[in-house]
Amino acid sequence: MDRVTFEGVGKRYGKQWALRGVNAFFAPGEVVMVIGPNGSGKTTLIKCLLGLVRAAEGAIHVNGMEVGADPQYRKAIGYMPQLAEFPRELTVDQLLRMMNDIRDAPSGSTDDRLIEALGVDALLDKRIGALSGGMRQKVSAVLAFRYRPTVLVLDEPTAGLDPLSARTLLDAVTEARRNGTTVLITSHIMEEVQQLGDRLAYLQDGRLRVLLAPETILDITRETSLSKALPKYLAQLPPAHVESV
Amino acid sequence: MLKVCKYTLIDLARNRFAIGYATLLLLVSIGLFMLEGDPTKALISLTQVVLALVPLLALVFTIIYFYNQYEFTVLLAVQPLGRRNIVLAQLLAITIAMLIAFLVGIGMPVLVFAPSAAGWTLLLTGAALTAVFTAIGGWIAVKNRDRARGVGIGLVTWVLMVLVYDALLLWIMFAFSDRPIEPVIVPLAAFNPIDLARILVMLKIDLAALLGYTGAVYQQFFGSVGGMLVALCALILWVALPSWRAVSAFASKDL
Amino acid sequence: MRTRALIVILLATQIAAHARKCIVGPQATRTIKEALALTADCDTVVVKSGHYREGTITLERSVVLLGEGWPIIDGEGAGEVVVVKAPHVTITGFVVRGTAISNLNDNAAIKCISVTDVTIRNNRVEDSFFGIYLSSVDRARVEGNQVIGDPATDENSRANGIHLWKCANVTITGNRVEHHRDGIYLEFVTDSHITRDTTAFNMRYGLHFMFSHRDSYTHNLFHDNGAGVAVMFTHDVVMTDNRFLRNCGASAYGLLLKEINDSRIERNIFADNTVGILMDGCNRAAVHANRFSNNGWAVRLFANSTDAVCESDTVSGKTSDVTTNGDLVLSLLKRNYWDRYRGYDLDRDGHGDVPYRPFGLFALVTERMPYAMVLSRSLMVQLLDESERLLPSLTPKSLEDLSPLMRPPHG
Repeated sequence: MDRVTFEGVGKRYGKQWALRGVNAFFAPGEVVMVIGPNGSGKTTLIKCLLGLVRAAEGAIHVNGMEVGADPQYRKAIGYMPQLAEFPRELTVDQLLRMMNDIRDAPSGSTDDRLIEALGVDALLDKRIGALSGGMRQKVSAVLAFRYRPTVLVLDEPTAGLDPLSARTLLDAVTEARRNGTTVLITSHIMEEVQQLGDRLAYLQDGRLRVLLAPETILDITRETSLSKALPKYLAQLPPAHVESV
Repeated sequence: MLKVCKYTLIDLARNRFAIGYATLLLLVSIGLFMLEGDPTKALISLTQVVLALVPLLALVFTIIYFYNQYEFTVLLAVQPLGRRNIVLAQLLAITIAMLIAFLVGIGMPVLVFAPSAAGWTLLLTGAALTAVFTAIGGWIAVKNRDRARGVGIGLVTWVLMVLVYDALLLWIMFAFSDRPIEPVIVPLAAFNPIDLARILVMLKIDLAALLGYTGAVYQQFFGSVGGMLVALCALILWVALPSWRAVSAFASKDL
Repeated sequence: MRTRALIVILLATQIAAHARKCIVGPQATRTIKEALALTADCDTVVVKSGHYREGTITLERSVVLLGEGWPIIDGEGAGEVVVVKAPHVTITGFVVRGTAISNLNDNAAIKCISVTDVTIRNNRVEDSFFGIYLSSVDRARVEGNQVIGDPATDENSRANGIHLWKCANVTITGNRVEHHRDGIYLEFVTDSHITRDTTAFNMRYGLHFMFSHRDSYTHNLFHDNGAGVAVMFTHDVVMTDNRFLRNCGASAYGLLLKEINDSRIERNIFADNTVGILMDGCNRAAVHANRFSNNGWAVRLFANSTDAVCESDTVSGKTSDVTTNGDLVLSLLKRNYWDRYRGYDLDRDGHGDVPYRPFGLFALVTERMPYAMVLSRSLMVQLLDESERLLPSLTPKSLEDLSPLMRPPHG
C-alpha cells in the first residue's frame, strides 16, 4: 500500500493556483527529493501534506487516513521546517518534554539517537532564546526524528547546518529509509538530490512535471551529473499546459 | 490543550515584557498610593491608569506574542493536535499570564492600601478587561498575517474603544438631546467594556450618590439584577466573541 | 433691650416669690389636668414620673410644667398633646408622644399659639406628627429637646420636627431632630437664632426656611437629610460655622439658596453632598472661608445670581468645583484654594500666577445634559477638559479665580 497519496490535488491563493492537478504516490522506504524553482509550489505541496494548508481540490492520504479530517494522522509525521522557532524562554529540555506530552510519548519510547549525534545533549539546559540558528536547526532535526515517524518531511534540512551535522542528518535519513519511512525532502543542492533521492519530484508553476528516479533522468539524457541532466530532460518535455482560470 | 497551555505559561513566566508589565503596574500603583494621601483619590487615579493602560498593553502584548510564536504555532499545527485547541490554549495561557501580572502589579497594592469595595471592583473589572483585550488581541493577530498591520489594528482598536466610543456617545447625546435618550445611554455606555469598568468602579467610589440625578439612573440600572446581568453578559460576550472568531479563523487559516 | 430684659427678670422673681408649687404623682394630685385647674399664674406644677394619658392638655395660665424622672404625657393619638395658650410658660423634663396624624390639623406634641415668652426645654418628643410647633409666638426659647420620629413611619404620616410660623425673637438651640419631614421649619420668622442644633435623617430638608429675615444659623450640624438644607425668599441671613454633611440624592444639596439677598455664609463645612451650595437667584452673597470636600459639585452658581463673592474657600472636589448654567457670570471668585489648581507661584506671594478656571467643559456639558455624567472620568472627557482649559472657548470666561491660593487658607 502507498504511504502517501496525492490525488488531483490543487490549491489556490485568491485567483492564483499555487498547485494544480498533482497526482503522486509515495511508497514506504522511499526518499523523494522535492525540487523546483522559487514559487513553483514546493512549499505548498508540503504544507498540503502537513495539513497547514487546505487543498482546494483533490485528496491527500497518509497511511490511508485523509488529511484534513482527524488530526491524529499527524502522529505518523515528523517535520523539520526550514527555519525553526520555539518559545524563547523554554529550555531545550522543556521543549523536548513539551513535545513528549503533546505526542503522549512515554519516555523511552522515543528515538533519541540524534540528541547525542548532533550534540544537542549539551544544550539541554540552555534557553532556546540563547541558541544560535544552527543549534535551533539541530533541535528541530531531533524533534522531527524523535517520534519514529513513518512519514518524514524535511524542508531544506541541511541549509543552516555545519557540514558535519548535515552529514549526520543525511545518515539519519538513510537509516530511516531502511526502517521503511517515507521521506520528503526539499532541496536546492543537486548532489544531495542525486545521492540521496530514490525519486525526484520536480515542480514548476504549480505542476508536478517530473517524478522519476535520478538515475532514469541520467540514463535518458546520458549525462553524469543531475544538474546538467535535469535541464536537458526538461527541455525535451512538451510545454506545460497553461491552466485557464 | 492543557499541555500547550502549561508550556506556554512556563515560557510567559520568563517573558521579559510580561515581567516588565507587572513591574510597571506595580510601580504606578505604589507610586500613586504613596504620593496621594487619600487612598480613595489614589484609587480614582489608579482606575484611570488601569482603564487606559491595561487594555492597551494586553492588546499589544497579545498581538506581538502571537506573531513571535507564529513559527512555533505552525510546528504545533503539524503535531497531532486540533487547531482550535492550539489557539485556545495560547489565548488561555496569555490571559492567565496577564491576569497574574495584573494581580501582582495592581492587586497587591490595592489590597494593601485600599481594600475597599471600590478596590475589589477595580480588581474584578480590570481582570475582566485583561481577558477581553487578550481575546481581541488574539483575534487581530490570527486574522492578519502582517505583524505591523496587526499591531496597527490593535492600536486603532484601542483608540476606538478608549476615546472614539466615548466621543460618539457624547455626540449622540448632543444630537438627540431633545429626545428622551437617557434609558439608551447607560446601556450603550455599559456595552463598551472600558466604560463599563469605569462606571462600576465609580459607582463603588461612592460617586453615585454624589452624581445626583445621573447617580440615580446608574443605580437604577446597575442596582437591578437585570442591569448587572446585561453588564455581565456584555463582558462575557466581549471575551467569547473575539475568542471564538480567533479560534475559527485559525482553524480555517492557511499557515 | 437690655433694660427690658432686666425688668422682665425682676418681675419674674417678684412673682415667683408668691408662686406655689403643686405636685402631680401617685401620692398627690393624680392628673396634670386636675393640677392645672388648681393653679394660678406663676405656679409650678411638678409632675412625678408616670404615664399620663389625659388627651389634650391645655395650659391657659402662665405656669412652669416641670417633669421629674421623665414622666410620659401620652396623647394616645387623639389630637394635640400639649397646647400652650398663655404667655410665660415653661415646659421641661417630659416625654411627650401620641399625636394624631391628620391632613386637616397640624397636630403637634407641644404647640404654642399666639403667646410670648415661652420656654420648651429638655423634653423628649417621640413618634409625633409635628413635634414642637410655635405659631405667632414672640420671644421663645426651644432648647435641648430631642425630637425623634419613628423611622418606620411612611412619608405621608410625617410632619416637621420643630415648626415655627410667624414668630420673632426665637432661639432654637441644642435640639436634635430626626426622622421627620423637615427637621426645623421656619416661615415668616424674623430676628431669630438657630444654634448648635443637629438635624439628621429627615425626609426632606434638615432645615427649611422661607421669608425669614435677619435670622442667624450658627454651629449647627445637618447630615444625611433627604434634600439637605433649603433657604428661600429671604434677606439678611447669616449662616456660619455649620456643617452640611452627606446630603446626597437626585435633587439634594448641602445648602440650597433660592432668592436670597445679602447673606453671609462663612466658615461652614460642606462634605459628601451631591451639591455643596446651589445658588439660584442670590444677590450679594458673601461665601467666605468655607471648606468644601468630596462634593459632586462644590458650588453651582446659577447665572441669575449677581455679586456673589467666594473668597478664601477651600475646595477639594470629586467631580466639579463650580458650575453655572449661563454664559455671563456676575459673581466673583477670588483668593480661594482649589485642590485641583496646577498653576505656579513664581513671585511667591502665595497666589498662583495663572487664573484657575473651576468650570470645566465637561461640567458645562453635564449642566445641560445630566446623563452625560456616564462619561465622568473617561479619558476622552479629560482630554476635552484639558484642551478647554488651555484654550477656553465654550465655558464662560468670567468664571475664574484670578488669584488662587497655593495653600489652604486654614490649617
